Amino acid sequence: MQIPHGVTGLLGPNGSGKSTLIKALLGLVTTHSGHGQVLEHRWPESCRVIRDLIGYLPEDDCYLAGLEGIESITLMAELSGLQGREALRRSHELLDFCGFGEERYRPVESYSTGMRQKLKFAQALVHDPPLLILDEPTTGLDPDQRLATLRRIGNLAKQHGKSIILSTHILPDVRTVCDHVVILVGGEVRVADSLESLSRPIEPTTHVSVAGASGDFQARIRSEGLDVNVNPYSGQLAIRGTDESMTSRLWAWAAETGTAITDLAPALNSLEQIFMHAAGQTGRDGTNDVGSPNDWTPMRQTTESDHARS
Amino acid sequence: MPVHDLGYRPWNQRRAARWVRPLVVARGGMALVYKRRWLRFMLMAGWLPVLLPAMGIFAFESSATDPELQRVIVGIVSRPMGQPELGQLILDDPAAARHDVWSSLILAFFRYPQLFAMVALIGLIAPLMVSYDLRTKAYLMYFSRPLTPTEYIVGKSAVIWALLGLIITAPALLLYVVGVLLSSDFSVIGHTWDIPLRVVGASFVLLVPTTALAIGYSSLTSESRYATFAWFATWVMGFVAYNLLTFSSVAMTQQRRGRRGRRGPTDWEALGVDLDQWRWLSPYHTLGKVEAWVFGLDATPASVIPSMLILATITIVAFVVVRRRIIARLSV
Repeated sequence: MQIPHGVTGLLGPNGSGKSTLIKALLGLVTTHSGHGQVLEHRWPESCRVIRDLIGYLPEDDCYLAGLEGIESITLMAELSGLQGREALRRSHELLDFCGFGEERYRPVESYSTGMRQKLKFAQALVHDPPLLILDEPTTGLDPDQRLATLRRIGNLAKQHGKSIILSTHILPDVRTVCDHVVILVGGEVRVADSLESLSRPIEPTTHVSVAGASGDFQARIRSEGLDVNVNPYSGQLAIRGTDESMTSRLWAWAAETGTAITDLAPALNSLEQIFMHAAGQTGRDGTNDVGSPNDWTPMRQTTESDHARS
Repeated sequence: MPVHDLGYRPWNQRRAARWVRPLVVARGGMALVYKRRWLRFMLMAGWLPVLLPAMGIFAFESSATDPELQRVIVGIVSRPMGQPELGQLILDDPAAARHDVWSSLILAFFRYPQLFAMVALIGLIAPLMVSYDLRTKAYLMYFSRPLTPTEYIVGKSAVIWALLGLIITAPALLLYVVGVLLSSDFSVIGHTWDIPLRVVGASFVLLVPTTALAIGYSSLTSESRYATFAWFATWVMGFVAYNLLTFSSVAMTQQRRGRRGRRGPTDWEALGVDLDQWRWLSPYHTLGKVEAWVFGLDATPASVIPSMLILATITIVAFVVVRRRIIARLSV
């Protein structure tokens, strides 16, 4: 498995080994076999060095009881090697970044789940690690805070060059912020690819919505040898074998037949479908298939409109 | 949003060495427990007993110019403290007796008021150390940093060591300094230089196994009250069991009744009581044996080695238990 730069979504059903993988990367659980490289350090031999370079946000609701928010994050900063006033200054800066106000001076146990989640996020960032591992970072956040956190994650990856592993069950979060996806099933990597590549159907398809009847338009398209399916509920047309280069021709055929196009977009695979398929997929020889997009033919033929229909 | 909010800024400055990170754990733990008002009160109250041995040292140094006071001191040392040889030495050569008198007073300070203070302090503080971290899963925060379980245990233990050092080692060393300042000249340092080292040694004997045991109990449960109960139960039951098994047989004999009305310490050996047979049952008496040996004042005939082995075993077993508990929690 290779985690590229940017935001990588780590997905998998419950018990698939996401948290174990994260803890193994951090050296928190004993690794009996295997080796690798994390941030140019040998793994698992150099786990302590690696841990110093990683910001980890645990999934569990964990906090240092009895300390105020600012004390808690300063302690974490000092444990990462920041010293004295610099640790305090950096802690305040991170609390500002994460949207904390005066509540930073309250005991942590009085915080709501969402505030603790933000505090953990700040603690993971306080030593400015090049790699962030975020285990369910948006759990317990209200919609506004969830979006703000996702924006922060995207900002850290794009503007500050952080590599981020985002372990989550919330697929819209992955769709919003991730560049790559790794799907674990039963402790094995089932899928590892860019989200863009995974979203693209094997056969290019264009979805077109029209105002009014579309019979003439369908006939014109079929006369060009293309296959058209009509969604019986929405009336949307799925035109197979068309990519972006054919967009102008579609507009021309619509003009010829007096059809008004209201929406035209390339079809994408639904992340839910990708996930469900990967979670249920077993290789032909009884083993799990790993990561090659070419092994995805059945799933890639499933489009978002198909998903909506189902 | 704060007016000074600068957004996210990279940070790339020099970090502290990794070996100092356990000190951060200790400092964090100290900041946590020091917020409790009763602890600050206990730390102040813990210094009060030092007045008694300080008065003893003052009286001993004053007795060099006051024969009446000297007779009183000899009487106290010979009978209630059970050291007639030392009493005679005070009469014959007070300068030669100084080392043993100071050691006896400091040992008494260790054995009686401060040992009880230690039991109370650890019983109230230690369960907060690991139990709380288990309950709130704070260990995940600690171990997301480059910290080993051993460093974490040392850091947590250091909180207790520091507090006990404040109420036991520091006053004992101060007693020595008071003794030097009250003596006729600084040449006494040449005869008593080893006492501070013995204080440090006795502190080590007292702090390490007791802290390990308390942290061990603390790691066994996320309910700190259970750890507190187990801690106090260990001391009370050990103390009671030792006294029952050691003295119950002789308590009913004629010999014991015949001694009524006599003054001075009991000669248990003459009564056929083996003070060391059941010592391993009681942490209080086991510690007492080793501390007395450290100060060179062990009066019982049995070897100190079994007691030392018991304390070492407690320390090692407790350390292994804590370590395994933490590693097991991290694996979940």
